[in-house]
Amino acid sequence: MTATTATPQGKVLLEMKDIGKSFPGVKALQGVSLSVREGEVLALLGENGAGKSTLIKILSGAYTKDEGEIFFEGQPVTIRSPQDAQDLGISTIYQEPNLAKDLTVAENIFLGRLPAKGLLVDWETVRKKSREILDRLGATIRVNAIVSTLSVAEQQLVEISKSLNRKTRILIMDEPSAVLGESDLERLHQVVRSLQAEGIGIIYISHRMREIFELADEVTVLKDGRFVGTRRVADVTMDELVRLIIGRGLEDVFPRREVVPGEVLLEVKNLRRARLVHDVSFQLRAGEILGFAGITGSGRTEVVRAIFGADAHGGEMRISGKPYRASSPTEAIRRGIALVNEDRKAHGLFLKLDVTVNTTIAALKGLCRAGFIQRAKEKALVQKLIQDLRIKTPGASSIVLNMSGGNQQKVIISRWLAIDTRILIMDEPTRGIDVGSKSEIYQIMNELTKRGVGIIMISSELPEVLGMSDRILVMREGTIVGELSRADASEEAIMKRAVGGDLAQGAAARA
Amino acid sequence: MTAAPTAAAPRHSRVIDLLRGAPILGPVAALILACIFFATQTDRFLSGANFSLILQQVMVVGTLAIGQELVILTGGIDLSNGMIMALSSVLTTGLIANSGVHPFLAVVLGLAVCVAFGVLNGWLTTAIGLPPFIVTLGTFNIAYALVRIYTTATITSVPDSLLFFGNTFSIGSTEITYGSILMLVLFAIAWLVLGSTRAGRSVYAVGDNPEAARLAGIRTSRVLVGVYAMAALSYGIAGLLLVARTGVGDPQAGQTGNLDSITAVVLGGTSLLGGRGQIMGALVGALIVGVFRNGLQLMGVGSIYQVLITGILVILAVSVDYLSHRAK
Repeated sequence: MTATTATPQGKVLLEMKDIGKSFPGVKALQGVSLSVREGEVLALLGENGAGKSTLIKILSGAYTKDEGEIFFEGQPVTIRSPQDAQDLGISTIYQEPNLAKDLTVAENIFLGRLPAKGLLVDWETVRKKSREILDRLGATIRVNAIVSTLSVAEQQLVEISKSLNRKTRILIMDEPSAVLGESDLERLHQVVRSLQAEGIGIIYISHRMREIFELADEVTVLKDGRFVGTRRVADVTMDELVRLIIGRGLEDVFPRREVVPGEVLLEVKNLRRARLVHDVSFQLRAGEILGFAGITGSGRTEVVRAIFGADAHGGEMRISGKPYRASSPTEAIRRGIALVNEDRKAHGLFLKLDVTVNTTIAALKGLCRAGFIQRAKEKALVQKLIQDLRIKTPGASSIVLNMSGGNQQKVIISRWLAIDTRILIMDEPTRGIDVGSKSEIYQIMNELTKRGVGIIMISSELPEVLGMSDRILVMREGTIVGELSRADASEEAIMKRAVGGDLAQGAAARA
Repeated sequence: MTAAPTAAAPRHSRVIDLLRGAPILGPVAALILACIFFATQTDRFLSGANFSLILQQVMVVGTLAIGQELVILTGGIDLSNGMIMALSSVLTTGLIANSGVHPFLAVVLGLAVCVAFGVLNGWLTTAIGLPPFIVTLGTFNIAYALVRIYTTATITSVPDSLLFFGNTFSIGSTEITYGSILMLVLFAIAWLVLGSTRAGRSVYAVGDNPEAARLAGIRTSRVLVGVYAMAALSYGIAGLLLVARTGVGDPQAGQTGNLDSITAVVLGGTSLLGGRGQIMGALVGALIVGVFRNGLQLMGVGSIYQVLITGILVILAVSVDYLSHRAK
């Protein structure tokens, strides 16, 4: 642990006291307080819907509070608009970078505030200053690069640079790590630490428990819109923290795996994709959870997309001993394979359509008689899945757009439970999902394996890989570089194989 | 966890909730209000005969709007529809009048050419991946040129059998054309298919998120080619209705069919982004335009002002729709 966890230093920058906010019919926040010091990282924790977003929106001027007081450097202030927040030096960075994608890095950093030289823009200053800010963050991105050509991690750096180009005293970071893989994560943490060193107060939201311990000085926990407590990170254990957030302990997050894997369900031989995947071979057994570990870009997603028929590939596959050609997702689904995508919004959900359509889209063949969908049968199926998976929704005809990440993920899973899925592939099954829902998704996976479903799980979160997998395959640069049994696996063993060579020492030392 | 409400914190009124739950209520309310307004302005508006006339006046645009609605639901747009309709009407009447083809065969040939155009539209959008706007702008011009190459003169000798849909039957003292009934039947079929079949669900899914649809096992190219082909079939039928209504095969027809049908679709609450909207909305949208034109005419308002008011209506309707969806 590298974060300084000594006694609190620095003067208090921001204080929110007894904040309350109501929407018609809902008390979104009640009696919530927090404070941030100069150079402090405060982690704001809570399940989805606990009130974190509402609190942040009050702070950034998107909502106005109904109750309570806000002090900035001891002075009472009112924040009525995003402009007010900006004037105080409060900047917010959201999970999805909010940039003009077709403009350059420098243009984005200076968006809306380009300096003029006479009638013309002073491009030299723009480029020079942008370079300085990026250097401050240790970013090697070119200032003339077009934003759309950058990775998400790099776009985040541009976003951070943009706020540094304004006066920023408090930086709110709303789940910046949710879209990052393990390797980009470390870079983000370095950036946060350097901002901290400059005396900026940081409010950091994340569902990844481990990084809270690496990064934060203090945590403030919310639950159901109420204030649960504030703790020094140095004074709490992971278990206590999880208990504060969801009201139960860590031992209950991962279910106990008791399933004994059965016969071979899927056999993959010499799977290839140009430049991305080289001769990958493995087997998946009935009732088994096979974990795929590796850093982002190691080829894991490419392997499972090939198995699902989503991309062209070479190699041989068999399902329960019978030859299988993954010519299209349609064929894969017909043979009992399902894929829960990494990016559920882009590749999984029909956001503007309702829960029913999202759930039964792959199951309609079985629900039709004489070409027409049997409504009663469909309704019964959807109701059963909503109950079984404990999907929280006002009803089957609600649009999925407004649901929480955890519930959206359950809708996708329910889509594959609506048909006879034998092989379930899950790519980052709990990315961006709160601890409570995570635990529920693990339970569902466990239940499925009891029924003989084989699960392939890609995950960048090592605790998840270790907690759920019966067997772990580690990928690096498009090949499988190691296989670990549940008994042999450890974070160190996985990272050593995932990173390879010298880097491994560094990674292991940090872990 | 009593979570959900915070995310979707309701700051909007019940009315907006209702509208979002059943988006067709807005256009229906507008239609009823328009009817009430015109009923108070002129005695001649509120009669069976007048309503039958309105139906008859909208049957061509309404039928075009069926195809347009299908295409727009997939996230596309079809600029070629009026010209495909013109091609169908000119080709069918021309084959009979100039080449002595049996009317039945001529109708089949006319419709087949339309479907071929639809398949071409669908194929160009899926196989090559061109934007539907560009593809159908191209086929709009191609179809227009084909019509003018085939004939520049209006074909006037149309056999009675082709005029059938212009004939009327009576309910009480009200005369109703068979063509309006055909349009309503087509809407009913489209409604059934969209709402209650796999194909219909696939249209919505592809319109909402084509990649997610593909990864859910839907053969998206087939769906899109099918949609453009079925849409073109509806334009062909619109062409037959046009012949029945006007009694001629007119090479000048259909030039504003695309914009008129888009107007109907949009007034009916369908999103141009795809995935959201109802087929009956397009019928209501066509009727709204029809009622305004008819009512204003009865009030003695000049036809150019009718166009003006249609323009204002479109902007108003879409603004209301947009604001109700943004208010969250």
